[in-house]
Amino acid sequence: MAELNAVEIRQVSKIFGFGEFAFAAVDNTSVSIRQNEFFTLLGPSGCGKTTLLRLIAGFEYPTSGEILLNGEDIAAMPPFKRPINTVFQSYALFPHMTVAENIGFGLMMLGKPKREINERVDAMLKLVRMEALAGRRTSQISGGQQQRVALARALAPQPKVLLLDEPLSALDYKLRKDMQIELKRLQAETGITFIFVTHDQEEALTMSDRIAVMSSGKILQVGNPREIYDAPADRFVADFIGETNFLKGRIGSVANGIADVDTPVAGRISATVPQDFHAEGEVTVVLRPEHATLCPPDRADASQMTGTLENVVYFGTDTHYHVRLSDGETLFTLREQNKPLQVARFAAGDRVGIALEANAARVLRN
Amino acid sequence: MTDAAGTIEAEQNRNIRKRWLLSLPALLIILVAATGPLLIVLLYSFLAPGPYGDVQWAPSLEGWIGVFLEKDIFDETLSLASAHISIFMRSVGLSLVTTILTLLVGFPTAYFIATRPEKTRELWLFLITIPFWTNLLIRTFAILEVIRNEGLINGLLIKTGLIAKPIQMLFTDGAILTGMVYVYLPLMVLPLYASMEKLDFRLVEAGYDLYATPFRVLRKIIIPLVKPGIIAGSILVFIPALGAYVTPSILGGGKNMMLGNLIELQFGQGRNWPLGSALSITLMLIVMVALLVYVRNAGSQGSRHG
Repeated sequence: MAELNAVEIRQVSKIFGFGEFAFAAVDNTSVSIRQNEFFTLLGPSGCGKTTLLRLIAGFEYPTSGEILLNGEDIAAMPPFKRPINTVFQSYALFPHMTVAENIGFGLMMLGKPKREINERVDAMLKLVRMEALAGRRTSQISGGQQQRVALARALAPQPKVLLLDEPLSALDYKLRKDMQIELKRLQAETGITFIFVTHDQEEALTMSDRIAVMSSGKILQVGNPREIYDAPADRFVADFIGETNFLKGRIGSVANGIADVDTPVAGRISATVPQDFHAEGEVTVVLRPEHATLCPPDRADASQMTGTLENVVYFGTDTHYHVRLSDGETLFTLREQNKPLQVARFAAGDRVGIALEANAARVLRN
Repeated sequence: MTDAAGTIEAEQNRNIRKRWLLSLPALLIILVAATGPLLIVLLYSFLAPGPYGDVQWAPSLEGWIGVFLEKDIFDETLSLASAHISIFMRSVGLSLVTTILTLLVGFPTAYFIATRPEKTRELWLFLITIPFWTNLLIRTFAILEVIRNEGLINGLLIKTGLIAKPIQMLFTDGAILTGMVYVYLPLMVLPLYASMEKLDFRLVEAGYDLYATPFRVLRKIIIPLVKPGIIAGSILVFIPALGAYVTPSILGGGKNMMLGNLIELQFGQGRNWPLGSALSITLMLIVMVALLVYVRNAGSQGSRHG
């Protein structure tokens, strides 16, 4: 028998409001989350990812559809009966309790014996490296420490599934990077299924086993980070995940999953075609900025497009170039990694050529 | 160096003097309007009663003795004034029950308002404050009209045939309690609402998330967090309830007296102003002691909870 999915969402809709004001925050959505997976719901604000999380937690009840936890329908179960815990965006630590009391709260509510609670709280404090601050009030610790306490509090009752609602968004950059690694470590050590909500695509790509990209209450694509980035299902996913250049063109011949696409701005480009997609007629080709490099405009062997360099943005690790292509409309973005003691080769206003790497282009499923 | 320090000091002194001068009007008002009358009451309590009310300018402890003791008419021996003591007990008891009842009714009311959408909250609060627009006397007579033997409730019950004879509701402790709960309810709801409005309802969700049943969320999370409102509301209800006069005198009739009525009696028919003054001061002391005990208990818990 195949292993049961940790969480299964079956045709779930959540509609807020009535009549003409009705609004589907989650729109007939289905998705399966596997055991011990780090699963991310990614999308812009208002896409329904937090509502979906709240449906799993039990703070909202679905208008229709089923939510299964290890095969059992929990859609109508109140949140205090679900073996699921949440790390809230604002942490929502109890201000009238100490760090240790916060962590022990869930176990206390489950009616565990005092000795077991104490042992478990100590273990949790150790897990998140907060032993020294057990007796502190939650108002007396820093944001990063509050974050750890919120994690420990949610993990202490050993839930089947841990929900994380943009838990890192309030932290500064450096701390956020540390906590990303910390979260991965905790997930590996506890073996609990994590469902993580974020609007930060970089966070999603670096941490997740699989990602579901959401927009307007629907899940557009589910896949591992590489699939999502390299083979976006549609224009929204391609645009939302990373920076992307879109070129319009016309399919010529297709052979072995590679199509020749005639584009007005770049001439003939060979682009990979998604499996089981019958490419025909007008299509859009996507190109990632890091799969192209600048070259002198007259290098006929390399250059596929020419244009005018509009601006150069230095990012430390790399430099972004925005090139106005020869059609005068399309703005092409490309990204080059910076080398030690590199001298800028091109300046704004220069005429430049753009060279594409092999297999860089991909035909977008319409 | 010392010169400079001297100038700074002189400047500071001038500032302090100026501040005193500016706060003088406020100090005067406090002295004349608040402290002055109290001092007069205190003074009167140590004087002898005049034959037709008022006081005689002769020092006397009779007033204070009369608070808890009474003189036998024949042999002048002192014994505990059981009537006074029972009125004190009744007053404290009724005020405590009023406080508890307003808390029981006011808590869900305040919670209801605090959980409404922000736009409609003002409307609910407005509705709560409407009774304040009407004179207390009129509101109390309205209750009288509802509960008296020929009143609304008894009339309806008799008309529907549920009872044959009217139920005696007026002139009972129940009537006084009904009146006081009705009159003081807004004083409980408003401070409760003020602290519930500040309550972060995500904490309530966090409680549910961590396996707390609705009752436990109430006990372990909501009540500890809105404690300041509970304390403020209880104080605001208990103190005026203890000194209530209009409600017990109308709804309690003559026989079910509270402290306020006893004091009024001394200044009116009783013609014993010193006793009335001593009773007033005693009432104040009870309130102060109750406040101190309450605030100290609540305060220590508050600091423990941060």
